[in-house]
Formats: sequence, structure tokens, C-alpha cells
Amino acid sequence: MTGTGTRTTAARSDTALEEPARPAARVRDLRKVFGSTVAVDGVDLDVPAGSVFGMLGPNGSGKTTLIRMLLGLTRPTSGTVELLGRPVPDGLTATLPDVGALVEGPGFHPFLSGRENLRRVAATEPRLSSSQIRPAVSDALERVGLAPAAGRRFRGYSLGMKQRLGLAAALLVPRRLVVLDEPTNGLDPAGTREIRAVVSDLRASGASVILSSHLLSEVEAVCSHVAVLKAGSLVASGELGRLLDAVAGGWEIETTDPDGALRTLRAEGATARPDGSGVLVEDGPEAPVLFAALVRAGVPVHGLRRRRPDLEELFTRITEEGP
Amino acid sequence: MTAPAPPRSVSWTRLLGAELRWVLRRPRTLVMLALLAAVPMLMAIGIVLSDRPRRSLLSEVAGNGLTLPVAALSILLTLLLPLAVAVASADAIAGESQHGTLRGLLLAPVGRLRLVAMKAFGVLVVAALAVAVVTLSGVIAGWLLIGPPAVPGGGGALLTMSGSVLPLSDAAGRLLLVAGWTLVQLAAVGAVALAVSAFTEHPLVVLSSVLGGLILFGVLAAIPALEPIHPWLITTGWDAAADVLRDPIPLDALWRSTLVAAGYLVAGGAVLVARMLRRDA
Repeated sequence: MTGTGTRTTAARSDTALEEPARPAARVRDLRKVFGSTVAVDGVDLDVPAGSVFGMLGPNGSGKTTLIRMLLGLTRPTSGTVELLGRPVPDGLTATLPDVGALVEGPGFHPFLSGRENLRRVAATEPRLSSSQIRPAVSDALERVGLAPAAGRRFRGYSLGMKQRLGLAAALLVPRRLVVLDEPTNGLDPAGTREIRAVVSDLRASGASVILSSHLLSEVEAVCSHVAVLKAGSLVASGELGRLLDAVAGGWEIETTDPDGALRTLRAEGATARPDGSGVLVEDGPEAPVLFAALVRAGVPVHGLRRRRPDLEELFTRITEEGP
Repeated sequence: MTAPAPPRSVSWTRLLGAELRWVLRRPRTLVMLALLAAVPMLMAIGIVLSDRPRRSLLSEVAGNGLTLPVAALSILLTLLLPLAVAVASADAIAGESQHGTLRGLLLAPVGRLRLVAMKAFGVLVVAALAVAVVTLSGVIAGWLLIGPPAVPGGGGALLTMSGSVLPLSDAAGRLLLVAGWTLVQLAAVGAVALAVSAFTEHPLVVLSSVLGGLILFGVLAAIPALEPIHPWLITTGWDAAADVLRDPIPLDALWRSTLVAAGYLVAGGAVLVARMLRRDA
């Protein structure tokens, strides 16, 4: 167990690290049809244990439906889901106590205070004994910074406070898997940073996290793995670093003779365009071929830089390509 | 190292306690109970102020305080008590779904069957409280405004419609009987309302179904050509409450209406369970 001792995970016991490399979630040929709409179509997915798994996709791409099927909230039309090594839905009774989830926004009763709402959640939480409910609720409120507003009715909470209460419910007890669907919705920048800290703490404690978000920079900052959904199909998934590498990032060439460089590069069959003071090679033959050609043509090259695409670029490329 | 401790499931008492706490903290539950409690009081005041003797269940109450709770239950059963149960049923599943809290319960996880039991318990508690409040309020209002449980010159507590006089213990027994009978009828309404609630996330759908159903049954009961189905309408048996004021009690109608209610209870319960086992949340 890591000794980082963050408050989020202080109570975490010995449940996380001894989990073998069994994936936190495994999905095979999953399909969900609502009427004539195919929401999720033939998705295969492995969420490695201990990973922070970012689920990306444009609105309506099936992220939430996929997450809901993972948690047994929606029945798949066909296909299989395993969560923490147990089948869904048959194994859910044993699995769900180890899973914290914030799905489709926080669900609470407007007429109850934040604390009362959380108490109600805690009362149904199998991992808490009756005497632990009160302290666990107070801890959770403290952890998400809601303690001062705990006595106020949920009705009067701001969007960010509601989101925090939802997070508090998901993290009421130490979990092996935490599923956060758009956790930064309605949060201010400070709240967004806190979510990032929470996710890092969870990861440090050995828990797996599945995170869906439309804030690509957030995902890039915290995720080790990503899956990109488009129109219900999985169009990319894997380790974030590898995915980014696989996208040809191109080369940035600093030169005082951009026209000459462009001519030379295009003659070699490369796709290149002017970029600022230099030239950007997007695609084409292997790099050494191009550089040799530049040198042969006497183009003064002042600098070469491999351009690594960021997640936003990857996402845009993957999701905006034609079908 | 040891495997993680197997999750204990939450005890029934804790689960039902949480549901009870939720039901009783809901402001509308308390407002509804207060309004229901006011009805027998208003009836008593009306009877005291009225000087037109008419042969009706209400006029039987005059000078005979213990009949007031029976009259109140019988009158409220036609609309307001079923409505209170419908409100509770609407909140129990459709309302939870609307607020996104049904998801939380399923993710906790409260098993789906346990969830049904927990919700049915909550509705039953509201129904029982409603019946208890009306009965107690009726007894108190009858005692204070109409007269103590003593038949003038009779040496008993309750004058029946058949003319006999019953001692207090018998009278109390009959009050319990009519209260229990009313609760069974309301449980049947609750089961059907919960079944509707399991299909929607709009509490209003549940309310309008129950209200619409009661009105529809009233219309059907008024069409003579439909006489063959009249015995199977749950509302048909609802005038049996007054039977507890006869001596001896004619049990036929009470018994028959209880069986019909049991039929609705089983049918509603079956649909409810079947739906909740598959429902998306």
C-alpha cells in the first residue's frame, strides 16, 4: 500500500493491490439498441486493473450507455460484461460494494439536506456497519469540502456542490473501481483540479478509475488509458501514450527557406505545409529520407522537432473522419 | 494476503429503517396526514352544526361519537385515502427515478427484489399511518364534539345501526376491524399504483392513473349493461365499511371485498416485481 495517505484513501484497506491482473472491466461484443437507434454497437473493451481509463466521444456516442451497462443499470441487447471479474448482472451483488459511481449527474432528494441525503446512501451501503455510518458521512462531506453546507437542503445547492455531493457518495467507502461520468460538470476550475487530485489519489491507492469527460485536457492530464467512441462503436482504445504515438504527429522544420523546403519535401512525396516561420511535415516517407533530401537540396535547416499530437488532435482526427 | 471481506448485505431493519426515515421526512407525507386528520374533525363540526336529521351513515353519527371514525374511513376511502397511497407510491419508484436516486439504490447495491420490498413497506407504512390518523382523529373528534362513548341510557359505548348497544371493548374491536379492512383495500391500491410507478419516471402518471382508475371504475359501476364485471371492480366493495355498525356484522361483503382486494394486490405485486427486475435506472 502506498503511504501517500491522502484523505481520500486513508481508510483504504488491503483490498486493492492484491488484485491480480484481472481487468477491472471487460466487455465483449456489447450491443444496445433503443428502438431503431443503435446506441452501442459491437464494443470490445478491457479496462486494466489499476488504470485510469478515459472514455471519450462526442455527445451521443454511447459513452453513458456503455457505462450504464457496465454497472448493470441498463440491460445490453447482446454481448457480455464483466466487472471486477464477475459477470454483470448476475455477480453485481458481490461486485457493486467495491464500486463507486457517479453516473449521469448526482441523484439526490431536494427536500433533504446534503448530510441526510448521504446518510440515506450510507444506510444502503453494505461495506458500512451501522455504527460507521455517521462518521463515514462526515468524513465524506469533509473530503469534498461540503462540510459547511452539509445541513442545507440539496435543493439550494449549486451545480458544483451537487456534483461534490455525488462524488462524496461514490467515495463513501474505499473502492476498487470508481466510475465517474462527466465528474467535472458544473465545477469551477478549482473544483476541476480537486477532481484531478481525487483521481490521482485513487490511482495511487491502486483503485481503477473509469472517467468519461468532454474536457480532453483533463483526461489527458489524469488518464493512463483511453477509449474513443463514435456513433456507438469503439474507434480507438489503449494506452494513452501509444495512441498518441500511433497518430503520425509529423515534424516541425525550422528553416529560413520555407519555399525551397516545401518544394523539396513535396518532390519526395511528403505532405507538407507552411507553419509559422517554418514547415510542417504531416505525412510522407520516413523522416531520414526527407532530411537527407533537404540536405542534398541545400535547404538550410535550423531545427527539427518531432511533433507529438495532443489528445485533442487525436480525438478530432478520430471522431471527425468519415465513416 | 486475504481476499477482501465478502460484502455483507445490509440488514432488513436498517434498510426498512432508512426507507421509513425517508418517507417520514418527506414534507408531503406529513401534510397529507395532517389534512386527513382534519377531515373527521370537520365532519364532527358539520354534524354538530347541522340540525337536519337525515337517514344516512352521517346522521347515525349524531349522538353516537364512536361511529364517526367508521363514517370517516368509509367516506375517505372513496377518494382521499387512495390518493394518499398513490402519492406515496408515485414517490416510491417514479419519484426516485426522476431524481436519479433509484440508480443510487441499485448501485449500493440494494438487490432489486429487496428494493421492491423496501418500497412496498414504505407505501404500506403511509397507508397504515393514514388509516390510523383518520381513525384516531375520528375517535377523538367524535368523543369531544359529539359525545363520549356512552349510549344515553344504554349502558354501552356504541349504538349500532341495528339498534343494539355494544360495550366499549366490542366497539373498539369493530373499529380495529374496519381499520384493518380499509388498510387491505389501500394495500391493493398501493400495489397497483407501485406497479404503475415501476413503469414511469413521472410521478404524475401514477397519480393520474389511480385517480383515472377510480373514476373509470365509478363510471363502469354506473353502467347496468356491465353488471357482470361489477363484482370485480375493487370500488364496488367499498361501501362494506358501514357493515361493522350492524349487529351482528354481516361478513359477506367485507369478506368478498377483501378477496377482491387480495386479487388486485397479487396482480399488482406480480407486475411490480416482473418490471422492477428488468427496469433500467
